[in-house]
Amino acid sequence: MISERLKKTILAVLNLEDYNITRDTKATEVPGWDSLNHINVILAVEKEYQVRFKNIEILKLKNIGDLQNLVDSKVS
Amino acid sequence: MFSNIDLEKLLSLFKYIPDDPLLFSTAEFLFFFFAFLVFYAAFSKSRNFRVYLIIVFSLFFYYKAAGLYFLLLVFSSVFNFYAGKSIQSSGESYLKKKMLLIASVAVNIGVLFYFKYTNFFIDIVNHIKSSAITPLDIFLPVGISFFTFKALSYVIDVYLEKMEAEKSFRDFLLYVSFFPNILAGPIDRAPEFLPQVKQDLQIPEIYIGRGIFLIISGLFKKVVIADYIGVNFVDRIFEMPTRYTGVENLLAVYGYALKVYCDFSGYSDIAIGIALLMGFKLMENFNSPYQASSIAEFWRRWHISLSSWFLDYLFRPLQMKFRSLRTLGNASALIVTFLICGLWHGASYTFVLWGAVHGLMMAIALFTKKPRQKFYEKLGISNSKVLHAFQVFITFHLIAVTWVLFGAANFSAAMDMFSQIFSYFKGGVFPQFVQAYPVVLALIITGYILHFVPKSVELKVSELITRTPLPAKAFILAVAIWVVAQAKSADLQPFIYFQF
Repeated sequence: MISERLKKTILAVLNLEDYNITRDTKATEVPGWDSLNHINVILAVEKEYQVRFKNIEILKLKNIGDLQNLVDSKVS
Repeated sequence: MFSNIDLEKLLSLFKYIPDDPLLFSTAEFLFFFFAFLVFYAAFSKSRNFRVYLIIVFSLFFYYKAAGLYFLLLVFSSVFNFYAGKSIQSSGESYLKKKMLLIASVAVNIGVLFYFKYTNFFIDIVNHIKSSAITPLDIFLPVGISFFTFKALSYVIDVYLEKMEAEKSFRDFLLYVSFFPNILAGPIDRAPEFLPQVKQDLQIPEIYIGRGIFLIISGLFKKVVIADYIGVNFVDRIFEMPTRYTGVENLLAVYGYALKVYCDFSGYSDIAIGIALLMGFKLMENFNSPYQASSIAEFWRRWHISLSSWFLDYLFRPLQMKFRSLRTLGNASALIVTFLICGLWHGASYTFVLWGAVHGLMMAIALFTKKPRQKFYEKLGISNSKVLHAFQVFITFHLIAVTWVLFGAANFSAAMDMFSQIFSYFKGGVFPQFVQAYPVVLALIITGYILHFVPKSVELKVSELITRTPLPAKAFILAVAIWVVAQAKSADLQPFIYFQF
């Protein structure tokens, strides 16, 4: 499951009302989440959770489920 | 009885002859490929035989293009195979893993650098220090930029845990040396390619139909359009722009944009088509790039296997490094990426400048995105067809102008073309041009019209070929090859991208 908090953060950056985000969703599938906007999504997530990811951790992400796991591992 | 001469001729077919690679558009390639297909079909049940057959044929194909330097291909395969293995087996030790990655990238880039850029840098040093170091006599193995990038993508994918390191050296050698994409791409990725090597051979009807369609359209683009307008018009103007009027220079700019597209995407189409006939699906490489409505979109449609390579392995890491700068971070990452992308295309200032201009244009687009959107909303034209058409028009012209840097012999020749266009236009020459070059003009117009045909039409045609029975397919291909052979210019034009 993707937490409401993460989902809300992502949707707010992309100016989306609602979008069905699951663990398997890939960034490129979400409207507006292109390679340039990626920077804004990552910064927003880092700000929301008050964490700082390592570059390699971000580069390894394959889908939003991976992002959720990364956030969880930093917060706990 | 064979006379000695015949035997020698036959043997020379198998020998390396400098500057005479087995281009896809030659009769020699057709001959070898047909023989290859006969064995391929006869032993289709045995995966082992099939894999070895492709490897042997691929190494022979590369030997024909680069002579003994085919050993470089073998070295690259051995090195990167073990690099991938050792990166994976370094397990949890992050530092060790990173050091191994850096070492592998350094060796790959070092080899590429030596063969391709040594003399360029000697030249730069000579300029700066006013020294006179003599350039080295270095042979440039064709396709080195392509197979180096292919092998590098594998090592980085293993590092980023996008895939497991390959266990079979034989299969990995096939990935690196696969003859359809060895000389000029597509730069296929290991996670999509390697599983296809391990499958049992199955060639769906649709692969054959699509393959034949791509080979025919590729030959048409390369031999009929690119070669013809190149030899008979565009190349002459690019060689000596000052000898021609502005109107001819302008038409050459339009001609070159079409030629560079048809030449390179034509080659890619044939490569993808040949692979499909063997049951391999390669990456899409071109998607009507001049239909793009922004420079960024152009790069999602042009040489996709290269642009996505730079996106994944250079732009993204840089972007994440600079991310606290936000838009400025994006812009910096873009400019660095495209400077290097320019250099990848060739060891000269004009290519670097060409890349820099593309990076700069995209950076400017980034910073002006919001005001532009507001402006369009004020005019009430955002998301309208008119705006889209206008953006396609502007994007195409920006690209056509930058192609001049790409195609001109040097910077001053490029500037000459622009100055001819702006200060010696002589529009009255146009009717004479139409009379002198009717075929060139007709081909340029046809080429552009075909470029803007919707993708659905193209898919319908290839579906139609898929549905025809096999003998009819063979007949269609034979007729197409015959037509292309008729149209073939007397001079054999090398593919532009070979020099990279």
